[in-house]
Amino acid sequence: METIRQDRVLIIDDEPAILEVLSTYLQDEGFAVITAADGAQAIELAIAQQPDLVVLDLTLPTLSGVEVFRRVRAEMDVPVIMLTSRVNEVDRVVGLELGADDYIGKPFSPREVVARIKTVLRRYRHAAAGNARADVQVQRVGDLAIDRAGHDVRIGGKGIALTPMEFRILDVLAHNIGQTFSRAQLLDKIAPDSTDVFDRTLDRHIANLRHKIESDSSEPRYIVTVFGVGYKMVNPG
Amino acid sequence: MNSIVHDIRNQLAVATANIEAFLDGKLEPTKTRLEAVHAALADVDVLLNELVNDLREMEDPFTEPSR
Repeated sequence: METIRQDRVLIIDDEPAILEVLSTYLQDEGFAVITAADGAQAIELAIAQQPDLVVLDLTLPTLSGVEVFRRVRAEMDVPVIMLTSRVNEVDRVVGLELGADDYIGKPFSPREVVARIKTVLRRYRHAAAGNARADVQVQRVGDLAIDRAGHDVRIGGKGIALTPMEFRILDVLAHNIGQTFSRAQLLDKIAPDSTDVFDRTLDRHIANLRHKIESDSSEPRYIVTVFGVGYKMVNPG
Repeated sequence: MNSIVHDIRNQLAVATANIEAFLDGKLEPTKTRLEAVHAALADVDVLLNELVNDLREMEDPFTEPSR
């Protein structure tokens, strides 16, 4: 098979027999395969190896598949296919709540898994190519320049380092200049699946963000508080 | 009961994935692998018995639950 670069697939399942079968099929199709038997190891490998696609068993022994999914997605933009024997959970998993790219019910046919992986990768690449074109422009708000694709924020031409969460908050607010978000709405936008981000945590992120982008964080010009409601971003003119 | 069904599907997945790999010539049906398939199917049998017991208890509310 003539591939310039091997696509890397990370498979996470606690059943060694499943890992062996899927690895064999995928390697025969020219994929490079990374395997993990538990969630903690999976997250570590995902970060270190930056796979092109993740196949994740929903029910893992220590760290649940859902938790692994959230952590991996918080770190990187990678398509995820869920393996699940809980057919009644499928809607939740693939629907809005989690946003997996596809699911495969157990028991499954390994041939079908390979076919689905190829389809998801193709769809993902296609969408990414479209996004790249749409995201080329850099949004400017006052002295701020937000490059969404490059995850790069500059103020007066000087780069500032934001955490992923801070970047997401800034991105949501900047895309909706003048629109007031309640804390709940903002949390829903930046961490739709998370139950462990609280209002207080959000306030702290906002405070940190202001500290980085405002010249005087006690007199914010970009991210202003709408008392009793929430936050909004304004153009300082 | 949901978790029994879940375990059954998991064990069936081990058996069918291996057998499909044997049929496709992707894996050799070695003794170890055949033993794994055999064990998975034996587990399915145990789990089916559990499932049947659970269903019986649901049908007859006057029996004491076994667990």
